Amino acid sequence: MEKLLLLAMNGLIWGLIIALIALGLAIIFGLLDIINLAHGDFFMVGTVLAWATLQSTGNFWLAFIAAPLIGFILGALIQRLVIQPIHNVAALSIVATFGLSLILQESVRITFGPTPRRILPPIQGTVPLFGIDYEVYRLFAAAVAIVAIGGFFLFLHRTQLGTWMRAVRHDRDTAIAMGIPAQRVYVLTFAIGFALACVGGVVAAPITTVDFRGGVDILPFCFMAVIIGGLGNLPGTAAAAILLAFLEGVIQSVANPTVARISSLVLMSAVLLLRPQGLFKGFAR
Amino acid sequence: MSAATAINRVMMAAFAAFLVSVPWSVPALINSFWVSVIAEILIWSLFAASVNLLFGCVGLLSFGQALYFGFGMYGVAIGISDLGLSFWPAFGLGIVASMAMALVTGIFAVRLTWHYFAIITVVFSLIFYFLALSNKWLTGGDDGINFTLPPTFTFGGTKWALTDPTFQYFFILTTVALCFWLMHRLIGSPLGKAFLAIRDNDVRASLIGLNVYLLRLIAFVLAGFLAGVAGALFAFFGRYASASYMFYHVSGEAVVWAIVGGAGTLFGPIVGTSIFIIVREVVSSHWEHHGLIVGIVAILVVMFAPKGVVGLWRQWLTSLSERTVTPADAAPVDIKLRTEP
Repeated sequence: MEKLLLLAMNGLIWGLIIALIALGLAIIFGLLDIINLAHGDFFMVGTVLAWATLQSTGNFWLAFIAAPLIGFILGALIQRLVIQPIHNVAALSIVATFGLSLILQESVRITFGPTPRRILPPIQGTVPLFGIDYEVYRLFAAAVAIVAIGGFFLFLHRTQLGTWMRAVRHDRDTAIAMGIPAQRVYVLTFAIGFALACVGGVVAAPITTVDFRGGVDILPFCFMAVIIGGLGNLPGTAAAAILLAFLEGVIQSVANPTVARISSLVLMSAVLLLRPQGLFKGFAR
Repeated sequence: MSAATAINRVMMAAFAAFLVSVPWSVPALINSFWVSVIAEILIWSLFAASVNLLFGCVGLLSFGQALYFGFGMYGVAIGISDLGLSFWPAFGLGIVASMAMALVTGIFAVRLTWHYFAIITVVFSLIFYFLALSNKWLTGGDDGINFTLPPTFTFGGTKWALTDPTFQYFFILTTVALCFWLMHRLIGSPLGKAFLAIRDNDVRASLIGLNVYLLRLIAFVLAGFLAGVAGALFAFFGRYASASYMFYHVSGEAVVWAIVGGAGTLFGPIVGTSIFIIVREVVSSHWEHHGLIVGIVAILVVMFAPKGVVGLWRQWLTSLSERTVTPADAAPVDIKLRTEP
């Protein structure tokens, strides 16, 4: 029972972090209509930036400012230099982002090194929670993820830029006719997607290992969340990420992690075949 | 005969002559290591061709072809090491296993198109990747299965086996050439034309009475066949099978090779695969970070040659014939619709 609770909690918190990363993937997918195979590596860059900040300044908290900022700039540059010239053609963007993923992984391998490293949680200690001692840092990570997700939705619905993003996604031609600079919105979207993945990376860095291959496992999981939540359904994506990770945590308490992963993949195939519009169609728009 | 066709024919003949002479010319010019690199390129070209058949001819982007490649590999490896089969039955088992798997998964997968199709193929391949990883008793997991090669042909006392590098090269070349020839015939056949019709507009294709679902399923099984043959050949070539070849990165590489070479063209997969494997082999002996070069090449090609290298080549040929031939003869060639070499 305690093991179940612990794994379920871990799953829930991991789900919140994945939700953050998957939201970035979902806006890139939804607005630019490209399958971004480099998104897992955006997360990986976030974990490496957290490690680099800790090494150079000795202060982990600075990474929460530095990593999203660097991610935002990198994202904007990549969109302008690579994605825009190929005119968002889906098949080509897959090749381009695959190349991008290799470039990011290799650059990190050159600079950071091939060996995985660990970051000690900046908040040590445990706290009793429902009869188990739970790590404080994980609770903090959950809080950061919730704040970031909330902030993102506020940005999307309460600011002019956010409204522009929704407008371009809804009807690109009308948006342009109304004077919305669609090209700049694309750059912004890609940059925000990268920045969100970096925040996820910083939060997750003390929980997982920092490794140049760290994004490879994250990518399918994020895609599962985007699909199960329904393409373009952002609250659905976040909910699906949390649900999936929570379920995997629960299944892990009775079976090994591989079985848990296989069951969520089977669940996803069922959703794709039976409800390709996503599990939550009708609940949110 | 226009200048363009003449150039193409000369290139084809030179390419064929080169491939046949590889076991003698390459060791003389570079070294014998490159013979096995070229054999490997041939196998992976066939794998890229399976992506190309689905994407270039039917318009379905599969990110899970590694699954059928893996089944071809495991069919051979399990057939030889566990069931004690000889060469040809093991080869057959690998191909049948991958085609059967393509049929079973295809029944579900081809109900979906585009993004959804790309993702469900990844999901299917991931499911079996994890199953292969966890069922170590059957698949050997990440370490894989090693096996000793049985002889290919036995005539009385003489044995022909893939342990002879020259025989192995010609065995791979013949098998791959046969598959490409079959694909060439397929594209020219009514079935191939139906595939192209679906790629260009599936609604219209269904309106003229084509069974879009069934045709897509046929294409999916045929692509599974190509990937299965490639996987079986690779198992013979490396004398082992491993779950790591079923991971989605392997499928992704094939997609990149096919698109960089030129999707929808017969020679695109060969060109794309050659570029990437040659870059990898040349760079990796000097510098371990060859992935960086591969990534940059992939991005540069999609930016400057969106129709792939073969597309670029055709564009160049067209502009050449436009200069030499009188304008009346030089009908613009729609690169996207041309599928023969």
